[in-house]
Amino acid sequence: MNNRRRLYEGTTKGMTIGATGIAVAVLLIVLIYVFRQGIGLLSLDLIRGNYWSENINIAFEEPAAKEFKKPADLPKDAYFSKKFGFALADREDPRGADLMTVVYIDPDSPLHTAYSTTAGATQGKHVAIHEEASIQRIQYLNTDGDKKTAGPARRMFSKDTIKALDESATELVLMYYQTEGGGIWGSIIATLILIGVTLVIVLPVGVAAAIYLNEVAGKNKLTAAIRSSIEMLSGVPSIIFGLMGMAMLFPVTQLFGANGPSILLGALTLAVVLLPVVIRQTEEALLVVPNGLRMGSLALGATQTQTIFRVVLPNALPGILTAALLSISRVIGESAALIYTMSTIISDSPSLLQPATSLAVQIWAITSAEQPNFELASAISILILAMVLVLNITVKIISVRLNRRWSA
Amino acid sequence: MQTVTKTAAKDKNEARLELGEVAFDIRNLDLYYGNFHALKNINVKIPARQVTAFIGPSGCGKSTLLRCFNRMNDLIEDVRITGEIHMAGREIHGSDVDVVRLRTEVGMVFQHPNPFPMSIYDNVAYGLRCQGVKNRQTLDAVVENSLKKAALWDEAKDILDRNALKLSGGQQQRLCIARAIALEPQVILMDEPTSALDPIATMKIEELMNDLKKDYTIVIVTHSMQQAARISDRTAFFLLGEVIEFDDTVTMFNKPSDARTESYITGRFG
Repeated sequence: MNNRRRLYEGTTKGMTIGATGIAVAVLLIVLIYVFRQGIGLLSLDLIRGNYWSENINIAFEEPAAKEFKKPADLPKDAYFSKKFGFALADREDPRGADLMTVVYIDPDSPLHTAYSTTAGATQGKHVAIHEEASIQRIQYLNTDGDKKTAGPARRMFSKDTIKALDESATELVLMYYQTEGGGIWGSIIATLILIGVTLVIVLPVGVAAAIYLNEVAGKNKLTAAIRSSIEMLSGVPSIIFGLMGMAMLFPVTQLFGANGPSILLGALTLAVVLLPVVIRQTEEALLVVPNGLRMGSLALGATQTQTIFRVVLPNALPGILTAALLSISRVIGESAALIYTMSTIISDSPSLLQPATSLAVQIWAITSAEQPNFELASAISILILAMVLVLNITVKIISVRLNRRWSA
Repeated sequence: MQTVTKTAAKDKNEARLELGEVAFDIRNLDLYYGNFHALKNINVKIPARQVTAFIGPSGCGKSTLLRCFNRMNDLIEDVRITGEIHMAGREIHGSDVDVVRLRTEVGMVFQHPNPFPMSIYDNVAYGLRCQGVKNRQTLDAVVENSLKKAALWDEAKDILDRNALKLSGGQQQRLCIARAIALEPQVILMDEPTSALDPIATMKIEELMNDLKKDYTIVIVTHSMQQAARISDRTAFFLLGEVIEFDDTVTMFNKPSDARTESYITGRFG
């Protein structure tokens, strides 16, 4: 080898190594970015919590001021009320808004005697104020018997509020108490409903169509044309399906009583998006089933339907399962087709015929809000990445098992 | 035992076909794959309850003719058949013939063992279950009887619920024979049944064929002339889609009447 060839050899190899390096680096950068931003926020409270804060007015059965001792282990930024036995501190909620939260409650504090005065089913019921609860407004009686208000609603945060209470309050009248928001429980439920309904629609149709194309239909120009148009469908950008769903599938959901974007409309649209994927995957699973099995079954006097249901489908089941899992990860990851069909309104108690967001759309919704919250978006991204990873690993395991079965 | 199987397997109104001396009477049969003339004017009478071997070089049409007997050629696109094949007084390509029922009368064993990836028991019971037999005792009896006839019972009786793919190649092929026997067919077609097997497994299958010919008409396609000579009563020699010679195996291998047959069986071509 002369020097020129050696140089050529070296550069080409170097380029392939460089390209691989870029790919790995990009992947790592994405993961590191998402994890650094989001991991701090990821907690059970985030997953179980509602996105929208709920506001409750509370009053107290024993509102009078007493004498309390400041506990030694309070956080440094906390302010303790000696008259009412609780401590407040300034915090930020997951959406980035300033909050005044309760960080400590003495066992004898009047706060333990709280009941709701908000009209509705919970009116008059006991409200358990726990630590980390956020308080917007506190109304108290001062020494002159006048009603006074303190709290963030009056631009008074922990320090000023506690100062006002301990200087002049004799009795607590009202508290405007806000539950913690910024959770994603509603979107998780919406995503699960979306996955379930989409699969219920797309799997039977897709599998049946694949059976027809691969087992029943003759190998002629028409089936070839149908097959290539289905493949073409899988290349259509999903936002186009979103537009189509909004215009053409909305009347279908109206029949079920929906009057706007809904999870059902999203599921119908995603079913259309996923149909080519499911058909292709199932067809590939059917192709893997050895033809000898079909021949063997038919030669034993089985009808074609019996052959399909007793021999072909059971052996294609791992492939069909793969199709289902791939569909699930597409549903989890899809956003464009859902923006029009399911709306970008985050819902805490999603139902089939109401608008809601899936996790991916919630990311879109919170990052395009007035105050984008990248931490929450990243925390949701971590969850989505984890789900997709688990699904992909499952698909890998299934396909390895499938291959082993036929090579044995 | 036999009667139980028969009434269970077949429709009660239709008795089992009784073959006379001739299992298949083939008259002026031509077969085309598209434009390719694969079988040319075949006129042969396949005797009942004997072993008939089809020999000839690759692509000469012997497997194609075999697949006519249970109409497996229906599954291939672009096939056109003219002429007649009579079986027990019916023309099997006739529109009144129920193909599904024909295939229970005419069983088939393939070149590569193709047991279903299910238990040994389920494999043997498959055909009957497709006919709607659900009675466990009937199925148990048929499975045992069929495996015995296929000389697999002793090896398989303790592992009936094991996956059939775990059996050896020879065992799998005997399982496929048992699966066909379970339907009590008249005829068993075998398409090079031993070409994927080792010599010992081949020997077992050949012994089995010798036992089975008492009850069944066997038609076997083989590439091995020794095998044809060992096991068959009658032999048909195929060349380029024509039956060149059809005679007693002994006569054929000792005194072939056609020069091309002689060249083939003495190994000068093929």
